Amino acid sequence: MGTPILDAFNVRVEGSGDKYLVFAHGFGTDQSAWQRVLPYFTRNYKVILYDLVCAGSVNPDHFDFRRYTTLDAYVDDLLNILDSLHVTRCAYVGHSISAMTGMLASIRRPELFSKLILIGASPRFLNDGENYHGGFEQGEIEHVFSAMEANYEAWVNGFAPLAVGADVPTAVREFSRTLFNMRPDISLFVSRTVFNSDLRGILGLVNVPCCIMQTARDMSVPASVATYMKEHIGGKSTVQWLDTEGHLPHLSAPSYLAHQLEIALSQ
Amino acid sequence: MPTPVSAARQCLTPEAGRALDEAVAVAKRRGHAQTTSLHAVSALLSLPSSSILRDACCRSRNSAYSPRLQFKALDLCLSVSLDRAPSSHNNVSPDHEPPVSNSLMAAVKRSQANQRRHPDNFHFYHQQQQLQNQQTFSVSSVKVELQHLILSILDDPVVSRVFAEAGFRSSEIKLAILRPLPHLFRTRGPPIFLCNLTDQPRRGFGFGFPFLSGFGDEDDNFRRIGEILVRSKGRNPLLLGACGNDALRAFTEAVEKTREGVLPLELAGLRLVCIGKELESGDGEIVGLRLMEIAVMAEECTGPGVIVSFGELQGLVNCQGGYGETVVEELAKLLKIHYDKFWLVGSASSYESYLKFLGRFPSVEKDWDLQILPITSVKPSESYHSPRTSLMDSFVPLGGFFSSQSDLKRPLNGSFGCVPHSHQYGESCENEFLAASKERFSVSAPDPYPSSLPQWLKTTEFGTAIALNVKTKDGVLVDSSESCTPHTNLDNICQVLHQRIPEENTCPIVVGFHCTTDNKNEEVDNCRSKILEKSPTEHINLNSHVPLDVQSMATLQSRSSFSTLFMAKQENNTPKLTEMFQNVKDLETGDRRSCNMSSSSVSDGSQLSPTSATSVTTDLGLGICSSPTSNKLKKPAVQYTVEPPKETPNRFSSRFNLDEENIMKHPSQSSSCLSYDYCRQVDARNPKIIFEALSKEVSWQDEAIRAIIRTIAGCSTKRDNDHGANQRGDRWMNFVGPDKRGKKKIAVSLAELLYGSRENFTFVDLSSEEVVGCNEKFRGKTNLDFIVDECCKKPLSVVFVENVDKADIVAQTSLSQAIKTGKITDSHGREVSVNNAIFVLSFSGYKNSSMQTRGASYYSEERILRENGLGIKIKVEHVVRDNRSQSISVSNNSIDVIPNLNFMNKRKLIGDNELHDPHFLSDTAKRPHTTSNWLLDLNLPAEEDEQKQTDDGNYENVSSENQNLWLQDLYNQVDETVVFKPYDFDALADRLLKLVRSNFNKILGSECALQIQTEVTDQLVAAAYVSDSDTEVENWVEQVLCGGFSEVQRKYNLTASSIVKLVTCLEQALSVHLPPSIILD
Repeated sequence: MGTPILDAFNVRVEGSGDKYLVFAHGFGTDQSAWQRVLPYFTRNYKVILYDLVCAGSVNPDHFDFRRYTTLDAYVDDLLNILDSLHVTRCAYVGHSISAMTGMLASIRRPELFSKLILIGASPRFLNDGENYHGGFEQGEIEHVFSAMEANYEAWVNGFAPLAVGADVPTAVREFSRTLFNMRPDISLFVSRTVFNSDLRGILGLVNVPCCIMQTARDMSVPASVATYMKEHIGGKSTVQWLDTEGHLPHLSAPSYLAHQLEIALSQ
Repeated sequence: MPTPVSAARQCLTPEAGRALDEAVAVAKRRGHAQTTSLHAVSALLSLPSSSILRDACCRSRNSAYSPRLQFKALDLCLSVSLDRAPSSHNNVSPDHEPPVSNSLMAAVKRSQANQRRHPDNFHFYHQQQQLQNQQTFSVSSVKVELQHLILSILDDPVVSRVFAEAGFRSSEIKLAILRPLPHLFRTRGPPIFLCNLTDQPRRGFGFGFPFLSGFGDEDDNFRRIGEILVRSKGRNPLLLGACGNDALRAFTEAVEKTREGVLPLELAGLRLVCIGKELESGDGEIVGLRLMEIAVMAEECTGPGVIVSFGELQGLVNCQGGYGETVVEELAKLLKIHYDKFWLVGSASSYESYLKFLGRFPSVEKDWDLQILPITSVKPSESYHSPRTSLMDSFVPLGGFFSSQSDLKRPLNGSFGCVPHSHQYGESCENEFLAASKERFSVSAPDPYPSSLPQWLKTTEFGTAIALNVKTKDGVLVDSSESCTPHTNLDNICQVLHQRIPEENTCPIVVGFHCTTDNKNEEVDNCRSKILEKSPTEHINLNSHVPLDVQSMATLQSRSSFSTLFMAKQENNTPKLTEMFQNVKDLETGDRRSCNMSSSSVSDGSQLSPTSATSVTTDLGLGICSSPTSNKLKKPAVQYTVEPPKETPNRFSSRFNLDEENIMKHPSQSSSCLSYDYCRQVDARNPKIIFEALSKEVSWQDEAIRAIIRTIAGCSTKRDNDHGANQRGDRWMNFVGPDKRGKKKIAVSLAELLYGSRENFTFVDLSSEEVVGCNEKFRGKTNLDFIVDECCKKPLSVVFVENVDKADIVAQTSLSQAIKTGKITDSHGREVSVNNAIFVLSFSGYKNSSMQTRGASYYSEERILRENGLGIKIKVEHVVRDNRSQSISVSNNSIDVIPNLNFMNKRKLIGDNELHDPHFLSDTAKRPHTTSNWLLDLNLPAEEDEQKQTDDGNYENVSSENQNLWLQDLYNQVDETVVFKPYDFDALADRLLKLVRSNFNKILGSECALQIQTEVTDQLVAAAYVSDSDTEVENWVEQVLCGGFSEVQRKYNLTASSIVKLVTCLEQALSVHLPPSIILD
């Protein structure tokens, strides 16, 4: 293995610290999303950045539709990358889908992760009767999917400001760009994967300390989800309420998020 | 170095020049430093005068989108990409033209060259374009046509990326440009086969994703469950997750329907029992009954085993009346008893309920050997089908979605070529068979059938990548029903064979078994077996026609264990066995691949008369591989033993047995050739059997054997983890530590157990310069070449590489590469797959703290192995009184003293200068028995030093820097490093001395003393060590040595003062350790 996987996922290691910190981006972005958070950490950490296979910046040929049907394939990728870099222990910051993969990875290899910071994480996006409010109804999702199928561009243009939430035009533009970089079929496929995932049952297996970062108004993840996760995660977990809005705080409020991350990492 | 626009324009036709100008204008407008291919594309798309590119895009566009949308997407992608282009820093003058970038200029150059090469295209193009450009063609410097320019620009990766983003394929666009006729290639929808063409390379992109190898688009969950099931520990999956229950349901359904690809191949045919409903029902009695049923089932089961689904844990947690404990206990008991063929599977919706379950049954996690499997995805397989067909059909490599295709293309890893197929017919056969049995057996007892049937099928499905398996388990069963409906059996067989026909046709790789049957007449017309090897050069065709005309009904008994065996036994009635024709063709392929041609035809006189009452029994067996267990078969008549496809059929046995005539043909008797994959199964499931067999051979290496078996069984291999779910069949083991013979013995036994014969064992000692055997054939070959040769000849073998630490750099790289890739390369670069081999790398220079425990033994392995056979003679001496008084007093009863005597003797020898071996001296010094004080006053310390030096020297020489690194690597690369304990020579020596002494006492009485020279002991030890067991030495002692003793008794008058000595005689050098006779002095 070695370099091919690192090349394929555009893995970068920045910074000169002695500890490893992984930034894993979420759906619709690529590693550039962390660009403005990154400088805060390069001094104290060796920061590992990589692109998910679904990101627009990765050669779409690598996206194997048979392989990436569940989140486990993404977990494989993450663990392969860390192994290729000979990382034995790291802190992990994951956003949206990567927050999910982070949790799964920590179940598989608990010794590898010292801490998980989960931004905009949700174990399940769909509502489940009275017990669980994931934020989406099945019908809505189907609607979104058909919108994506019908007109990806329009969907992107509509979705991006919604996701960013806050009124930050640069963030919206950035998110639209990366979102549009994704091949439409891949992004549809990935979102189906995400919406089909349900991690609720296995949260108890996560024993690594977690910090859940939840923004005030996240259109994808209702606030109740954060508390749900805190209650159900097996290890020590805290919820950090972010004083900002939207699903993408690292785009909309990078310096604030960086500050919060520093606090969470030092805890 | 950008080119000025004017220079670039000179290479272009006016039309192309206009396009370039437009591109330059675009770049200028955007304030970019250079004019790139992207600008050119942008210009070409917007240029009103020329619409080549736009048209081409139109033609090649993906029909799934509306054209307007896709063009918009293209525009957007293009502008996004253009936005990223660097802008010019020096805004000089407004009329400054951004120079042409290198990439665009390269495209121009490419098209120039292209045009020069292909004037045809040029003409072709011209017929549809303006004729005025004709003249430019004749100009010596070729001016680039717009069309060619576009084609070259499309080659630019940046451009094709942009098009790809918008859902176009630049290759399609290129084709559309080259063939401007509309709909030339298009049928309906996207040009599918063009997609496929371009898809071919992209599917094989070469970096190491750990792909799901086998099951293609099958459900990921199934694969993971299967992985857990085949493990040796934690093998009972508990599906945890909110959708765990759904996953469990899907799994149980799939297993019940025996869908292909759900279970790992070795578990295909697993029987599934669900007790979830009963548990939830809360009725203790029903549950109890079910448990009893399960127990019986597990008892009787002979297939891969039984899996019990206990449904949701909730059911067990909530059950009232305390039967929950019973259930847990019972299942735990069953698990313990049927350790290798009983599984549990269940689900839990959340971790909390699992904890609750643990709280109620605290020991259950251990008792049930549960393994939590997080299930995170809801019904992945179904939900993805719709989008694939609608939106993505043009994007997605189509081939991947059709399992049939991938099945056919699946590489022959090991020898599963068509398991899915046989699986399939397993299913269909089952239906058929069930139908048949219901129909016909309604009167007779149908009971045995349902229970025996699945196992019948199981073997069909599982044992037989290659093999067709027509099997009813035991003849008894069939016999029992024989009397009532003899028809049925044949009928069934016919049906079964019938089922197979179409399937086998589609599997060119392996075996075709044709049997056309006419059920109505109940007559087997033709039975043909075809063994095809796929490789074009190595083609073996085996045809055997067995037309059997059966007029009235015969009993047809078919039996087979694991091999393909079709036995037709016809009794009672008068079968007309017209002809039996067997034809084996072998197209030889140079490489000493022996295949025996055998052809025989048998005709029986009585066959011709339909009324004859002669009963003719014809056993016809077509064996692809017969396992050791196939000795169950009583009358395998025709048995072809062919190695799995892709392997060279170097062994080929065909036996023909007609019961009455007893015609036997044995062109080449081969013990048996066990299908490799099959034996893998055997191991994995019967580690105990292997363990017993191995430890019978090498009893002193229990731990090592355990480690070896673990490795072979395929669990806990390092390499597999690295490579994800690969399915390589090769295993790599390091045998380190001393005990060379033990290692070799184990390896040989492995070859025998796994591959059926000791023949399948290759031994290479890398420390020897020349290849073993010094045969002429091997002259000029390196050890590595020899290995590769052997691997080529015997793909299924155990390769034992001794002294791997002595490997030269070529061998090192080749071995490392082989571990990684499964292909070994010889010094000429010839590659051979070692996918089915077991490699054992052995070396002794391994130091480990845990190994030192035994302490320095008197006997070093090196010395024992160096021991050469000398003659042994018996001397009788009468010793001086004073010396003897000490020794005699002890020698009578205690064996411990013997070494002392030996030592004494040795001292004499030393004094006589008869010995020169430093090892000998030092070994003597180190000997534990010699610690008695009165013997230690000799000049021994100096010699001890000497010993140390020599030993250290040995190690030092071996472990030069490089070597060490590589060996270190080797540890990490191989599946398992097995540490061998040093052989306990002391115990062996003690045992042997005791043996000799007791025999001595028996014959000569206990009065006189026996002295055994150390060399003699060594020689005996060496003999015992090298030979297979102690018995050889025992026999020798009994037959030869005792004879010598008796002769001594006859010849000499032994008194209490005489000492009988056993010494070696140097003058008589023998190659054997145990001389056939003893010389009396």
